[in-house]
Amino acid sequence: MGKQIIIQPVSRIEGHAKVTIQLDDSGNVADTRVNVVELRGFEKFCIGRPVEEIPRIVTSICGVCPWSHHLASAKANDAVFGVKPAPAGKKLRDLCNSVAYTEEHILHFFFLSGPDFVMGPDADYSVRNVIGIAQANPEIGKKVVRNRHLGTQMLDIISGKSIHPVTAVPGGFSKPLTQKERDTILPMAEEVLEFAKFSIAFAKENIFPKYLDTVKVLGVFNSGFMGTVSEDGALNVYDGKLRLMKPDGSFTDFAYDQYTDFISERIEDWSYLKFPYAKSWGEGFSMDTNNPKGIYRTNSLARINVADKMATPLAQKEFEEFRAKFGRPAQLTLLYHWARLIELLYNAEHAVELLHDPEITSKETRVPVTPRAARGVGCVEAPRGTLIHDYETDDKGLITNMNLIVGTTHNNAPINMSVNQAAKLFIKDGKYDQGILNRVEMAIRAYDPCLSCATHNLDGRLPVRIDILNSEGLLINSIQN
Amino acid sequence: MDYLDKEILVLGCGNILFGDDGFGPEVINYLQKNYKIPDDIFVFNDGLSVRTILFNIVLSDIKPKKIIIVDAVNIGKTAGTIFPLDVNDMPEIKCDDFSMHQIPTSNLLKELKNFCNVDVKIIVVQVQNIPEEVSPGLSNVVKDSIPAACELILKEINPNFANF
Repeated sequence: MGKQIIIQPVSRIEGHAKVTIQLDDSGNVADTRVNVVELRGFEKFCIGRPVEEIPRIVTSICGVCPWSHHLASAKANDAVFGVKPAPAGKKLRDLCNSVAYTEEHILHFFFLSGPDFVMGPDADYSVRNVIGIAQANPEIGKKVVRNRHLGTQMLDIISGKSIHPVTAVPGGFSKPLTQKERDTILPMAEEVLEFAKFSIAFAKENIFPKYLDTVKVLGVFNSGFMGTVSEDGALNVYDGKLRLMKPDGSFTDFAYDQYTDFISERIEDWSYLKFPYAKSWGEGFSMDTNNPKGIYRTNSLARINVADKMATPLAQKEFEEFRAKFGRPAQLTLLYHWARLIELLYNAEHAVELLHDPEITSKETRVPVTPRAARGVGCVEAPRGTLIHDYETDDKGLITNMNLIVGTTHNNAPINMSVNQAAKLFIKDGKYDQGILNRVEMAIRAYDPCLSCATHNLDGRLPVRIDILNSEGLLINSIQN
Repeated sequence: MDYLDKEILVLGCGNILFGDDGFGPEVINYLQKNYKIPDDIFVFNDGLSVRTILFNIVLSDIKPKKIIIVDAVNIGKTAGTIFPLDVNDMPEIKCDDFSMHQIPTSNLLKELKNFCNVDVKIIVVQVQNIPEEVSPGLSNVVKDSIPAACELILKEINPNFANF
């Protein structure tokens, strides 16, 4: 065995989640907290920079969903410059967004959350992971790689760069799609659609029925929801209006730039990450799982809940089945996974539809822009939740103020609440083990948190650590991955 | 970006927004500007997305013969020192993946080396400064070490040729 040295893998911008569980005198859960470290200094760094540079810079925030940041920033630029992007440019952005979604949702379902369900939450760590699932299901592993790779290839062809995109610009898209490129991509998109159809059918037959009992209890609490819908109420992950739904299902729609009238960000002294809440409900903020106040959730389940319908036929069929089964709004936390697969199907269908649209190959992909002093808010639905970029510029187009709310931040309070509920459910009389740890993690995983986006961790600490404290606040055990 | 059928991958990792953490991407830029890269070698600024590529390679039937990771570390050496790091010298961390974006890269690299017959090399620099807040730009001492890192990479690519 080689010499072991301690290193700090400083190149990672991965976050970590530290879960603290406080027990009472009888060994039951008194309180829980999920801590993450916030990405610091990005807004300040951007002050004074030309606003049109920001779409290229923000892709360095996160290696997981650079497209979401890139597109939200481009849309904020459109708003700052006061232009509507050229129709073909808008469609190319929309196409890239949907392709990126299919990559992300395939990954999350099969390999991030999949091991919990395929291998089972009590399976040993040595097999309950991405390698284990690939060994247990080699054919699915190959399909996942193939389809994710198709997504990368499509993005490369459309934009030239799949990982650090630069093609969304103020007023549209810098690179038109040629007929030949479209003809190359279309069969790829159709293949991904076939895999999306397989995925939801596979899950409905092999996975969801087996775990419905777990779904009904793990991480459950009632909340409101927020997501983007088109003017006609259909789910839209690229553009539309925001819809904020109360736990009773009533909702209010508003434009992106009005978000500060509806949402506020609360600071808790024990967390670096802010806690957005629905201030427009006028009830304040409480993370009491039995009586939450101001709590809303984002990400896939939220988007399915706030939508009146889906814009593509196969996803609409799945949507109707889901709604008939679980109602509106569906509150069970693990249903995020099911909702994610409906979204996978929608985005795969949508990409094919866009590629059949004759306008997608128009050479007119951008409109000219002129700097001005203005405020512009750009918003997309990142796979992990509503992503808001809010910029202000001076008359030279230089950034004077910036605020970002990333998808995972919206879910900060809900993640805390689901962990609290799961810990209370499973930890009784001071008894806990690795299986319980994983169930607590499953509650977090349902939200597909992108802590690498919401956070910046420089010291290489491990992704999840659960500290268990006794009633006097002393650490009695620490379990970590 | 078609890397699955390449013989050798050279991946620069790190965040250009955080000081010396941007070393890997800067080395890749230098390689691409100053050397002619053969077609069977994939040289790529992977930024924060290295795990996405490693993940696909682990699960793919087609694998490269060699992967060279260029990264930045803080292990108490003199700032700017370039040295190879053996993948087996990286700390043991369980392979459980809480999240794709947080799966420790070391696990994927070990998987590739120990079970997939891929020759994994890691070339790192000792950082001088990783800021707590966003602050792009390498320190001078780390910037000056870029050519030395490139020489090491070139020797890893082909020991018989000092240059391309």
